[in-house]
This record gives sequence, C-alpha cells and structure tokens, in this order.
Amino acid sequence: MSVSQISVFVESKPGHLGNVLEGFEAKGLSVRGFSAADTGGYGIVRFVVDKPEEALADLRERGFAVRLTKVLCVKLHDRPGELASVLNAMAEAKINVVYCYSLVSTYVVLAVNDIAAAEAALASGTLELVDDAEIAAFPCEKAL
Amino acid sequence: MGTPMPSPDKIDFSTLPIYKPDVECTSRERIRAIQLAKLIDQVNYTYDRVSWYRDRMDELHVRPSDIKTLDDVRKLPFTDKSALRETFPFGLFATSLDEIVEMHASSGTTGKPIVVGYTKEDMDVWSECIARLAQMAGVTAGDRVQMAFGYGMFTGGFGLHYGILRIGGMMIPAGAGNTERHIQMINDYGTTVLIATPSYAMHICEVGEKLGFDWAASSLQIGLFGGEPCPPGLKAEIEARMHITCTDNYGLTEVMGPGVSGECLAHRDQQHIAEDHFLWEVVDPDTGEPVPEGEMGELVLTPLDKRGIPVLRYRTHDLTRVTTEPCECGRTLARMDKVRSRSDDMLIIRGTNVFPSQVEDVIASIPRLAPQYRMIIDNESGLDRLTIEVEIHPDAFSDSFEDMNQFTQEVTAKLQSVLLLRPVVRLLEPNSLERTLGKAKHVDDRRRG
Ligand SMILES: [Zn+2]
Repeated sequence: MSVSQISVFVESKPGHLGNVLEGFEAKGLSVRGFSAADTGGYGIVRFVVDKPEEALADLRERGFAVRLTKVLCVKLHDRPGELASVLNAMAEAKINVVYCYSLVSTYVVLAVNDIAAAEAALASGTLELVDDAEIAAFPCEKAL
Repeated sequence: MGTPMPSPDKIDFSTLPIYKPDVECTSRERIRAIQLAKLIDQVNYTYDRVSWYRDRMDELHVRPSDIKTLDDVRKLPFTDKSALRETFPFGLFATSLDEIVEMHASSGTTGKPIVVGYTKEDMDVWSECIARLAQMAGVTAGDRVQMAFGYGMFTGGFGLHYGILRIGGMMIPAGAGNTERHIQMINDYGTTVLIATPSYAMHICEVGEKLGFDWAASSLQIGLFGGEPCPPGLKAEIEARMHITCTDNYGLTEVMGPGVSGECLAHRDQQHIAEDHFLWEVVDPDTGEPVPEGEMGELVLTPLDKRGIPVLRYRTHDLTRVTTEPCECGRTLARMDKVRSRSDDMLIIRGTNVFPSQVEDVIASIPRLAPQYRMIIDNESGLDRLTIEVEIHPDAFSDSFEDMNQFTQEVTAKLQSVLLLRPVVRLLEPNSLERTLGKAKHVDDRRRG
C-alpha cells in the first residue's frame, strides 16, 4: 500500500512555489501535505494531494519538471514514541528512509526505495497504512 | 511523403546529383592548380583596376608578379569590412557601372551599408555556387521550390532564386511573411523545397501544427536554410516535426553572398567550399598567421574570379576549421565546419579563451537539458567567475537531491573538460530562459574594472 506523491523542481526564487500552487487552486485540488527542501539554487517541493493524476497533468501542461513517485504513508497513534518506533522498524529492516515528512502530525510520509519491504517491516505493529483513496477522503476526523 | 534526415550510412550517394562533378570531385592537385592560375589572374586584375588595392600592395612592396604559389597569397594585404565602408558606395568596383547588372547591399546596423555589384560573369558564378549547394541537399529540376526569404537588397533571396533556376527547379517566389499563406501554398502547389531562415521554418512548422496541417503527409521534402546562425538542436527538431531533410550554407555579402560553401548529406554541419571560386585560409585571429590544417581559426577568403568587386584576403571574423579529406558524398572539395562563432564572440575568462558555441555544444549533447543556456560572468569576488544557467528537461527530473546534485556535477565536469575552466552550473526550471536565435543574449558579462 502506498500513496502518490508529486515532486516539482523549483528554482529558489520568490514566487516560484506560488506559481505551482496557483494551478492547484484553479483546478480545485486540495493539498493534504507537503514538504519543501532546498539546496540554495533550486529546491524540490513534494506534495500529497487529493487528485494526484490531475495535479500531475496540470503541472506538466504548465511546463514544470515534475514526477509522480510512490511513497509510504503511515497513520500513527497520537502517543509518545510512536514515530520513533516506525523509524526503528525501518532501521532494523535495514531500509533507508530517503526523506520523511508529516501531512498532519500523525500522518507521516516515508520515502523508501522498497515499499513492500518497508510495509512488511511495519506489519507486526498496530500501525495503519494509508492509500490514495484515504488521502482523497481527507480529513479523517478519527485521526485528528 | 516527407523524408526525415537519413543517417549517412543509409544514403546511396551514387543516386544523388552533383552539379559539377569534374570540379567538385576532382583531385586535390587539380583544385590547387585551378586556384593558382586563377589567383595570379585575379591579383593582376585587382592591381590594375582598383587603386585602393594598388596603394596597399605598393606600401607592402608586393607586385602581382610576386604571386607564384598559393602560399604567396600571404604576401597580400588583408581586407576588412571597413574597406568597403570607407569606399562607399563604388570605390572598390573594378569595372564601370555599365558592366554591373545587379546590385545588393547588406543592412548596415551601424553606419553605411556594404554595397556590392555583380557583372554578368559574377552572376554566373553566383548562381552556379547556389546550384551546387542545392544539389548537395538533393534538389533537382523536378523540385518546386518555395522562397520564404525576403527578396530585396539582401543577397539571400535573389541569390538562391537564381541558383534554383539554374538547375531548372520551379521557383515559387512567395517571399517573407504571411505564414498561413505559405502553408496554403505548400499544400496547393505541392511544394517540395522550402527556403527559409531556420527560425521562420520553425514558425511555419508550429503554425501548421496548430492549424492541424499534417507535415508527415505533406509534399515538402527539403529545407534550405540560411540568413542566420542555426543552433544545432533547431535543425534536428524541424526535421523531426516537418518530416524533411535540412541543410544550410555559408556566405557573406562582401565576397559574394550565400554559396561560398554548402552542407552535403554525408557530414552534418560541414560545408563544401566552392574552392575553384574561393581561396580559403584559416588564420590565428590575433596574429593573422596560418594555423595548421584542421585547427580552429578565422576564415579568410579570396574570391578567385570576381569581376565587379575583387576582394583580396577578406577577414570574415568567422571561426571554423577546414579539412581536405575526401567526403563520402563523392566530393573532394574541402569542408569547413559550420560557422558557430565569430572571433568577436570570444570571451577571455581567467585568461582562458571561451566561446559561447562551446557551451552550446556541450548543452546540446546532454539529453536531460533543454538546448538553452545563459552565461553570466562576474568578478565580484575579485576573480572572474563563470556561471552557466541551464534548463532541466521537464521529463528529466528525478525527485532526488542526490541524483540532481550528481547530475549538476556531471554537467559541470563536461563543461570544464571543454572550456578548460570550472563553471558554476545552475539548474533552472523548464522554459525559464528567454528564447533567442542570436548569440548576444546568451552572454551577460557583468565584470567591472
Ligand atoms: Zn560531402
């Protein structure tokens, strides 16, 4: 189980992230979570949205360098030690987490090279994994 | 059906026309003999008739009888564009104006234009040179050739027109502008050859695509380009989208106009020089001394049978290299690399000579980058710094900083190996650089002091 993530190449200049978001608004796309990282010259902004295919098509059409990637999305219980237990499970299974960020504090995106292995590493716990359908149905009151 | 540019090993050159095989395919010895005989005549003709050259040769104590070998051409004075300006309009003419049958002029962006006049014999040479380069691209008497250059004082329009008549092709003199009418005419008249600047050909292509015109099914087969430098990626893109084969050619108004050299189908971006009409030299732009064969330098041209305005050792300021190896197309005439930069374009960065065309070549060779770039040179920190901005191709982005950093390092290393200095490479979003065809806007030199 995985969710779809849209990654966009943006120059580190004022307004460039805004340009990306403008189209989302016009197309009625909801951002469920995002992370922006930067090298000083350029950055990669990663989005989890309710309609990833539409977002991808919109950005492509507007000439952005974009990519759709599959990432793991784990729904944590809201209690101390929960995030650490996820990362420990990855470490024990020798899975490298390339980057991670949270959607809301209890929904954490993990980018890994082998989604199936990561999923298996988490299977023993009580953690729930999320798919695109659940992302589309956000917000999930239960979790909040 | 259109024919996309075939790879040279798939072309049967024995079936392609060669306009004047007894010259174009002759031995190097015979070419040199033709050149020497004509050079001696031409120097005598020029000395006798043009006081401007007589004065300069007298100053250098060189007599026409001193020219005994082709190397003796080096004893003659160089000619710069300024000579044609100083003598405006008719000061360098070697004949009375009664013998001139056509006049052309290059647009003077600064000061007076360059005026040139052609005798009947000159027109004959000119149209033959054009006929040769048209046949190098495969044009024959059966072709219908649509002109999208402007006619007028510019040498390109009429020059190409006369050359096509010479081989018996049908000229469709549409002229510049009105793109939709051009497409309509291609469709109505079954045009097979388009003569245009590459940027206008691209425009015709795009307008056609928007109108739903099916280029793959169109009658068009060949593009003859000229009038402006053609960036390497553009020709290939036009060929792929219009389903045609494109060549370009080289020439300058000052020595004749288009037709000095033309591209055959065996070597992309190399052009056979009409050596029986033009003696070429490649010299160091700073010293004027010859460079070894095959090395890059400034092209110097001496037209060998020009009657209206003879010109000796014209400094083109165009940089190229020339090879005399025989060509797979069957021609033995020397080939010059398509001119990509002018000696005036050269930048000196930290003491190293850098040409924008070198950057252009490297960028064009990397599929993950769009064929666009900008060079920024500054010395804010005291030392010269070269920053090269490039656009990532929309499909080439990978979602990994590690990969993007590694890619940036690769681009930097490739540029460094060609430029011999390490630039700062900056990746930009797709379509963020301004699209231009000239060289000027590729370079932003902000150095002070
Ligand atoms: Zn050839």
